[in-house]
Amino acid sequence: MSDIAVKASAPIALRARLNEDWLAVVIGLLVFGSALVSIGGTDLLGWAVTTSVYTDLAQALNPFAKAYAWLGGGGALLATYTALLVVLSIGVVTLGADVRKFALAFTAVFAIAYASWIFGSYAYVAAVTPAEQQKFGLAWSLKLTNEGGFIVALLSGLVIANFFPRLAGWLKEAIRPELYIKIAIVILGATVAVTAAGRLNLASSLLLRGAAAIVEAYLIYWAVIYYIARKWFGFSREWSVPLASGISICGVAAAIATGGAIRARPAVPILVSSLVVVFAVVEVLILPFLAQTFLWQEPLVAGAWIGLAIKTDGAAVAGGGITESLIMAKAAAEGIKYQPGWILATTTTVKIFIDIFIGIWAFILGYIWTNHIDKGPDRAKPSEIWQRFPKFILGFIFVFAVSLWLAVGSTPEIAKALPAAAGEANVFRVIFFVLTFFSIGVLSDFRKLWQQGFGKLAAVYFVSLFGFVIWVGLLISWLFFSGFKPPLVS
Amino acid sequence: MSPPDLKNEIHAAEVEPLLPIEKKLIGWSLGLGLVLLAVLIAVNHFVPIKL
Repeated sequence: MSDIAVKASAPIALRARLNEDWLAVVIGLLVFGSALVSIGGTDLLGWAVTTSVYTDLAQALNPFAKAYAWLGGGGALLATYTALLVVLSIGVVTLGADVRKFALAFTAVFAIAYASWIFGSYAYVAAVTPAEQQKFGLAWSLKLTNEGGFIVALLSGLVIANFFPRLAGWLKEAIRPELYIKIAIVILGATVAVTAAGRLNLASSLLLRGAAAIVEAYLIYWAVIYYIARKWFGFSREWSVPLASGISICGVAAAIATGGAIRARPAVPILVSSLVVVFAVVEVLILPFLAQTFLWQEPLVAGAWIGLAIKTDGAAVAGGGITESLIMAKAAAEGIKYQPGWILATTTTVKIFIDIFIGIWAFILGYIWTNHIDKGPDRAKPSEIWQRFPKFILGFIFVFAVSLWLAVGSTPEIAKALPAAAGEANVFRVIFFVLTFFSIGVLSDFRKLWQQGFGKLAAVYFVSLFGFVIWVGLLISWLFFSGFKPPLVS
Repeated sequence: MSPPDLKNEIHAAEVEPLLPIEKKLIGWSLGLGLVLLAVLIAVNHFVPIKL
């Protein structure tokens, strides 16, 4: 996190967070709404660029819709960049950003991030099954699937953060992983709804299991990690609350919300958040591949596990996407073709359920602290529950509800046209995922954190995450999801 | 507060003993969490995922 972020006061940090959430809702709804127009016959987003697995770079990029084929891949890429630049530039004005600096930085961010995505789609990186390798005439491939591009984007960001710190500083204005992933999650509501519509029983069962995630994250994880931080490592209450929240609930949002609730100094939760991002990076590089190796026969266990184990929205949801891609590829190689979307939907449901209760938990802690520990005139108020509620989730729920209604409650013609519209919106969801991964990488300056002496904080994190959270999360995922598989492609 | 101050603070801070309210928070959270988890596992067993 930048030094500027460290200096932000709690009220300003909260206001910025509220605006960022609503901005994500507005942009997400803009993409979703524009995609829906295609149902009526007018394709507003068909120019968006898509990337296919390729050996010939000239074949890699294409517009999403055939009607826009005249644009060519390069034209589609330029159109996509321009649209995102305009919309995001207008958006960040509401966050008080310097538009000129943002526009310049975003141009570089988009270029590097999307170049990483294109590289990740190179057949020698992405091709998985023997049939794919044969199609491209390959003797070998890394088998990362085209979503390996997320990892490439993450690694690109890490290289910049750790070896080109001046460039990282220059890019700062457009390094907004929270904004990008929130927009992506709002858009994701459509894909999840289309997926769920096909199997409503399974979808509603997944919701019930999401409740288990809340219980585990808030009541079990938080209590154990707070005890570890206080008793084993001797941290003060002010440090232990955001630490426990960041490690057990949702790294950035929960650390800041609960830190604010107990009236901690703003620098404390913000610095804890930096650590959470670093560990999320490490997890995303390891856990999806572990899931593919050991859990490919239990895909929903894998999806839930990623949602419980990875502690930022960006890394968790995007990590769910990578996990889905890797597991589906391995299953396909064994002749099992799962319907896409279920593993990602499981991860997203688990993570969103955890996010929903951040405001309530922050209020509970605030009530205890201001009434029993640091008593003073500034008492916790119930209105803080709404203040701290992650508003972007409202966008996800709205998009999900509208899409589900269109899929099962409208005319057969609309229901038939909906998957294509959702697919068009999904192009932008993927692009925002790529931007998120790259941004997370750029924020992960390992050397700076080490120089700042956060070894003790990192030790708590390491012991808690790799000694407890990951394994209990796996156990709980196994207890609730084992034995149940996504539907097969018919 | 600058990072070097926080670094020194983390390493040099006096240990704060657990207050009774903190012990209650930890105990009740963990206890309630384990009970609810057991209830959910039971519900999961009797209302399995329907495909």
